[in-house]
Amino acid sequence: MIQLHRISKYYPVGFGKNEVLKDVDLSIQEGEFVSIMGPSGSGKSTLLHIMGLLEEPSAGEYLFQYDPVHKLSEKKRTELHRNSIGFVFQAYHLIDELTVYENIETPLLYKNMSSAERKSRVADILDRFNIVAKKDLFPNQLSGGQQQLVGIARALVAEPRVIFADEPTGNLHSSQAKEIMELFKELNTKDGITIVQVTHSDINATFGNRVINIADGKVV
Amino acid sequence: MITNYIKIAFRNLWKRKSYTFINVTGLAVGVACFALLALFIKHETSYDKFHTNEQNIYRVLTQYNDGAGQVNTYASTASALAGTLKSSSPGILGITRLGDATPVIKAGEQLIQEKKFLYADNDFFKVFSFPTIAGDPAKMLVEPYTLVLSETAARKYFGTTDAVGKMVTINDNQAYKVTGVIKDAPANSQIQYNVIASFNSLEDGRTENWNRPNYQTYVWLDNHVQSKTVETNLNASLSKLMDTWGIKKSDRGILFLLDKFSDVHLHSSIDGLTANMDIRYIYILSIVAILMLLVACINFMNLATARSAERGREIGVRKAIGAKRFQLVSQFLAESGFITLFSVLLGALMAGLALPYFNALAERELSFSLFSVVSIVGILVVLFVVITLLAGIYPALFLSSFRPVTVLKGKMTASGGGLRKTLVIFQFAASVFFILSTIVVIKQLRYIQGSKTGMDRSQVLVIDMPRKLIANFSTFKQQLSTQPGISNVTASYDSPVSTGGGYSINSFEGKGTNLNFSVTALPAEIDFVKTLGMRIITGDDFTMSDEIAAKNEENNVVHFILNETAVKELGLTPALAVGKKLSMNGRNGFVKGVVQDYNFASLKEKITPLVIFTEYGYFGKMMIKTNGDVHKSIASLEKVWHDLVPYAPLEYHFLNDEFDSLYRTERNTGNILIVFSSIIIFISCLGLFGLAAFTAEQRMKEIGIRKVMGATTGSIVALLSKDFLKLVLIAIVIGTPLAWFFMHQWLNNFAYHTKMTADVILMSAITAIVVALGTVGYQAFKAAVINPIRSLKMD
Repeated sequence: MIQLHRISKYYPVGFGKNEVLKDVDLSIQEGEFVSIMGPSGSGKSTLLHIMGLLEEPSAGEYLFQYDPVHKLSEKKRTELHRNSIGFVFQAYHLIDELTVYENIETPLLYKNMSSAERKSRVADILDRFNIVAKKDLFPNQLSGGQQQLVGIARALVAEPRVIFADEPTGNLHSSQAKEIMELFKELNTKDGITIVQVTHSDINATFGNRVINIADGKVV
Repeated sequence: MITNYIKIAFRNLWKRKSYTFINVTGLAVGVACFALLALFIKHETSYDKFHTNEQNIYRVLTQYNDGAGQVNTYASTASALAGTLKSSSPGILGITRLGDATPVIKAGEQLIQEKKFLYADNDFFKVFSFPTIAGDPAKMLVEPYTLVLSETAARKYFGTTDAVGKMVTINDNQAYKVTGVIKDAPANSQIQYNVIASFNSLEDGRTENWNRPNYQTYVWLDNHVQSKTVETNLNASLSKLMDTWGIKKSDRGILFLLDKFSDVHLHSSIDGLTANMDIRYIYILSIVAILMLLVACINFMNLATARSAERGREIGVRKAIGAKRFQLVSQFLAESGFITLFSVLLGALMAGLALPYFNALAERELSFSLFSVVSIVGILVVLFVVITLLAGIYPALFLSSFRPVTVLKGKMTASGGGLRKTLVIFQFAASVFFILSTIVVIKQLRYIQGSKTGMDRSQVLVIDMPRKLIANFSTFKQQLSTQPGISNVTASYDSPVSTGGGYSINSFEGKGTNLNFSVTALPAEIDFVKTLGMRIITGDDFTMSDEIAAKNEENNVVHFILNETAVKELGLTPALAVGKKLSMNGRNGFVKGVVQDYNFASLKEKITPLVIFTEYGYFGKMMIKTNGDVHKSIASLEKVWHDLVPYAPLEYHFLNDEFDSLYRTERNTGNILIVFSSIIIFISCLGLFGLAAFTAEQRMKEIGIRKVMGATTGSIVALLSKDFLKLVLIAIVIGTPLAWFFMHQWLNNFAYHTKMTADVILMSAITAIVVALGTVGYQAFKAAVINPIRSLKMD
């Protein structure tokens, strides 16, 4: 599903450049649950952003579902964001001005889905995540774990093929973290959704079925 | 989707109340001012356009050229001109002469001093389009001693518009029959009337008189006829006429010009029947109106882009979950549309509420009529779209252009600072421009008020002379003069502050007998100079014997007092002029004295040659100099008036007020400019206030650290204000020369004007700085006194 070939990323710094990723080769199959691990500044978040099409590599080739991403138009990429990719962020990144319900509904709005279908989809997700009672609350009225739950619900509602999670439990305490990871595990095994997460935690990594270690911009 | 946009827009606006308040207030005030100015401009530019023949009506101007470089143009013509004009060219569809008067009218038991009284030819209703309510417009003004009433006058005189056939008495001696009732003149008509009497009622209307150029002549030309051709033909006819009168070619300094009637109000330097507006003022006010909106839109743009950092995360998330740029742009446009819609509606409401105050300010009676409401709704819709786009499109494009990863990584800072600074400079340059302009306008208006015009206007009452009183004026004067509180009593044809009347000196002893030296001349009573506190520099003032000589019917001798300019332009010295024989339009006599130059017309005009002469038949104004308590003087006046002039109501005004009314256009425009400039400055400050709050918030952490390290409140206020001060200084550098240039042009309209000095610049610069620093300083101070622990804890 995801194939990286000699991917590099560097930023210009003064006269030289700061290489974040160096010739990364990587492939992830459909249905995998991959954890990317490594020390701070090793380049794991950048790798995730590149895979999630939020950032472009400086060099190398990236095939997403056999499509060469570096040749895709802006429009095509937005299509992928809408239909195939879901994001879960460390800081949840819910829209503060929208309620739980509306936050989850937003990706569907961008897909121009009919109102009736939106309603049933959001209702399903709320039900599944057990947050029906919270649907009219705003993000700042929720605990961190609940916010992340909404974040995942939002990532899932558009039925993506892959979820990229950037330290999804980084801001949560361990019991909440465990719940979230169990949810990921369930999504992976029951729904067959591919999951790629960046994490510091060895415990979180055990929920996945593969660990990719990164150090100094290289897969080790 | 759109409901989602509106929902989020509403919540966003609600969450940032102070920011929304700034935007809505600024925009609403901007829209309200724009609507009021638009109404005013529309009114002024629509003057006299409602006449069906508007494109083909001309007024006749008389230009006197004395051959020595002195050219004077007046809108007045003699009554005989109309006949000559009619026969000189084909294609003349109608001619009407107009004369104005302020007679006393007796209707039933009512005595009314009628101020809006005109004499007009029967063609009046053919040339102009004033709809008739009763009577036959084809022959309403044919017969002598007939008149037409306006709807208002008919109601006032007879309590009904059904007034045709009724009689009124004018000046206690002549009965007039009402032959028609017409609709009131619209406010945008320079011809205003309550009563229009037939021109034939005047002696000059029944005879061909070339000697009294006291009337206006209007002509309606056929579509295909060129006004230039008519002008040429008229002057040729006149030339022939002068041949028969035996006037030498070299002495003919008179030329008639046709002046398009509907252009008079805005484009002519010679007033129409009501005070003109200057097209340049219209331009200035249009600029003010547009700037007003622009400045308000700039606030919106600046605050929206400044707040972009706050919105950045939301945009990043939306992009990551699949928002197209177009969708983001629509979202932000919906948001600005929401604010704009609200502001425009609020602005319209404010305009409606402020209209009476605006009318008082502009001395107009504007109203939002049905027609103007329709067009104003149209304007509002256009405004809505324009402001939404203008204020919203840049922030929308700007905000939607973020790369999601930069914002999500938290690297986002509020960019667009360069543009923001430019816009603030623009706003403040506009403010400085208006501050300086306002100061100059105020200075000039003060200058006019306080300038020495060569006469003493204080405590002088002016009364329109009732016709019947002219013959008995001496008795009246004698009785009044003995009363307490009355110093002097005199009379003249015209008001001493706005004297018209084109005469020419035909012979002057030692200068020849075939002169054509054009002067303004004023028939006056002997105490004229004394009553008005003018100074005779050589020779003597008029005396009682001059009055007797003037009144002597068999051997009439006229005495003249010339002003300094007349003497100078005749090539004489005052000493040489006194005692010389002089003849002016058939009046013969001697130069009695030379009076120091005084402004007998608006200060816009240079003082030209003037002759004051003794003639007792044509007084239009009475001037009474009072002393002590003015109420006592008026009581004296009322007593004498009641005894001697029972046939006319007593209506007086102060000469000083009349003087002020000469500058009505300047004062109106000045007042509008002052108020609206203040509003522009207010809106600019509102924006600056928002920006300063934003900057203070953004630098909260820095302020906290500095305070921990020992910075004083003062030094932090200085730190925060410094950047804004720089912008204001740049704005001053840009705004000042522009304003200087424009105000210099404006002052040049006045022959007599105040000087623009460095203190004007200093004052405007200081005002701008103080206003800006006051705005920014408040926010800076608020930020500086916050406990640093609080600001540092935020992270």
